[in-house]
Amino acid sequence: MRGFLQHLRLTLRLNFRSPQALVYGYLVPLFFLIAFGSIFKTVPPLFREMGQLLTITTLGGACFGMPTAMVAERERGVWRRYRLLPAGTIGFIFSTMLARFVLVASAALMQIGLARLVYRTPMPAHPLQLFVAFGFVSFAFLGMGLVIAMLAENVPAVQALGQAIFLPMIIIGGVGVPLKALPVWAQHFAGFLPGRYAVEALQACVNGNGLTAARFDLAALLLIGLAALLAGAKLFRWDVGQRPNAGARAWTLVALVGWLAVGLVSESRGTLTVRSEPIGNGLMEAIVQPETTTAPSTTAAGVRSSSPTTQFATTQPATAPTAPNPPNWQAVTAADADQITYDDLEADDSTVTPIAHSLDNLPEDVKGQMDDLAGKLADWKPGHVDDPVERVRNLLSVCALPDILEDPNESNVPLVVFEQIKGSMPKDQLIKVLTWIALKPDEGTYLTALPELGFPGPLQQDIVRERAEAYGRKLLARVLGKYHPTTAQ
Amino acid sequence: MPDVQVRNLRKRYGDVSAIEDVSFEINGGEIFGLLGPNGAGKTSTLECIIGLRVPDGGSVEVCGLDALRQSREVKQRIGAQLQATALHDKITPREALRMFAAFYRDAAGVEPLIERFSLKEKADARFETLSGGQKQRLGLALAFVNEPRVVFLDEPTSGLDPQSRRELHQLILQMRSEGRSVLLTTHYIEEAQTLCDRIAIVDHGKVIATGTPAELVAESRALPRLSFRAAQPVAESDLRALPSVRDVAADSASAYRLRTTSTTRGILELVRLLEAQKNELLDLQVQKPSLEDVFIELTGTSLRE
Repeated sequence: MRGFLQHLRLTLRLNFRSPQALVYGYLVPLFFLIAFGSIFKTVPPLFREMGQLLTITTLGGACFGMPTAMVAERERGVWRRYRLLPAGTIGFIFSTMLARFVLVASAALMQIGLARLVYRTPMPAHPLQLFVAFGFVSFAFLGMGLVIAMLAENVPAVQALGQAIFLPMIIIGGVGVPLKALPVWAQHFAGFLPGRYAVEALQACVNGNGLTAARFDLAALLLIGLAALLAGAKLFRWDVGQRPNAGARAWTLVALVGWLAVGLVSESRGTLTVRSEPIGNGLMEAIVQPETTTAPSTTAAGVRSSSPTTQFATTQPATAPTAPNPPNWQAVTAADADQITYDDLEADDSTVTPIAHSLDNLPEDVKGQMDDLAGKLADWKPGHVDDPVERVRNLLSVCALPDILEDPNESNVPLVVFEQIKGSMPKDQLIKVLTWIALKPDEGTYLTALPELGFPGPLQQDIVRERAEAYGRKLLARVLGKYHPTTAQ
Repeated sequence: MPDVQVRNLRKRYGDVSAIEDVSFEINGGEIFGLLGPNGAGKTSTLECIIGLRVPDGGSVEVCGLDALRQSREVKQRIGAQLQATALHDKITPREALRMFAAFYRDAAGVEPLIERFSLKEKADARFETLSGGQKQRLGLALAFVNEPRVVFLDEPTSGLDPQSRRELHQLILQMRSEGRSVLLTTHYIEEAQTLCDRIAIVDHGKVIATGTPAELVAESRALPRLSFRAAQPVAESDLRALPSVRDVAADSASAYRLRTTSTTRGILELVRLLEAQKNELLDLQVQKPSLEDVFIELTGTSLRE
């Protein structure tokens, strides 16, 4: 044990003496961070892509970093010399993998820290669970790296084998390009690659419900890792001269069987496809949010008008109102409410300000989560403040945050919140308050962090304001009976 | 009980037989040499004993333990230096010694090893900056981190300059004085003759002779050699006609080498011949058969070829 700890320590120390290892270990992840920050214009920046980013970092360390170091040392005869030590193969495998885990974990921490500093990316919602998920991801990928190291005859062969695994996962495996932007066949294909499960597990801990929402992903990664580790241990060779024969090479199939098994189970669960986003004029359009969501324009009445997509029947032309603004919310009239337009709002099944069709037929666990949220909201102090405008703004913030954070329940939460709002005041008062909020979108403040409800932050006030205001008008449309259900998907 | 017992060891690489029924023993405190040309099977034999290769047949016992079944226990008791000391370029001798020592139950102190193997000045230098001799000394130091009872050295002085070679010879002789057994492979006859208590001559995967250097020479059929220089040239036919002379070679017009069945009779016959021809003997040297002569006699080839 003492020997393996020394080996682990020394492996780490030697890594920091190698300029090449530092470039691959830290400069490349830094490059990916900047590249993602430049390409994905989502809000908050990089929050929805953190799973992808961390997966790429781990994948790079596993496909290239660890096997390159192992094969280079084997070529030099270092491992042959280790073989003379009174120690077993498994111990060396674990200390080597653990050293690489520490290195990729430090690179991942660097990425999270820099994302926070440079892009103001919120901290992960479940940091400890993220660490656990990262452990599973590393285990699966480093197992693959071990197989690469044992199959490759030399360092150039590591590059070739590594690319053969790395590139498909990046391009059509849901790691570099989000699954939503991939065609359906590629989404199915991605189910047979480990990268997809890594992204899902990590992302669930960054802005989702944590490990409970990623149990299948963790099991998939564990199975893939165990199969790879078994294959790697069977293929292990200390010496360049020890070439695996055909029988030994067959163990590679065991590693691949892990991928296949996970893909087949996912296929049988029907979880391989996700809702695709419109591809539009090109891939980038699919993965980059329109600028209008981050820099909205406002009309004189404070009603946003950008995207023509709406699911509300337009009862009034989308022109600027001519009536003078009421002095306070109590003075709001039916005519004021009638002037509010809805044609710039995103459809309910869009990724921006989504609202579920209903809460019926939800899976039991999700239903439980929504019941739990409703219970919390019933006692939630910001939802009971005396000022009805502030109260509604606070509650609309509860709709906005999961939307911005891409919470898995982002479309369910608004229905729960709407019920809470509707129950908090009479209908005529609610219409006045919601109309007032729509007419005065730049007034008041919204809550930007709701950790007590499971929605971390802080997020930017402007972004929360924009989404909350949109949800306010969606609720107003419903209360006024202007919601047109036939347009909903 | 011998420290090392090798019985009928066999190893094949495909169609090539690298080791064929090799057997020998190494007693405690003995330096045992495997002498043979490159490709003779010396390294394969050593690597089968220390567990780097799996033999196809035969048995190996080290310190009373089955080296094939109790490999890890055997490794606690042995130290080995392979032909080329292979370590990470950026590691320092101190770090390497510290790490290797951590794997053994009874490890020697790192600092005394650095001192003993003259690595103090380079203890914190990176491996890539060490000279060939320093790398070999570090390899020996690594072989000593567990205070081994048996030390295996594979061509330890190959490629070293004469000074480094002499230093390494001293270190190897010191091992014997400490009571350790040493198995040394070499293709240097002088090294084998200088260091080894007993030698096994290996050729084409087989041990063709075993014994002390003196025993090997004594048992050899190689003849003593007379080298002389005369004032006038001597006809080679006259030299061949001498009863005790078996072979004649001319080094120059008046310098010759003779192989004789008897040193005394050969000298007498040569002196009488020169006197009869009124020639003068200017120089005369007597050479007993060497290990190299034994090797040539046994294998039909020279190690220097």
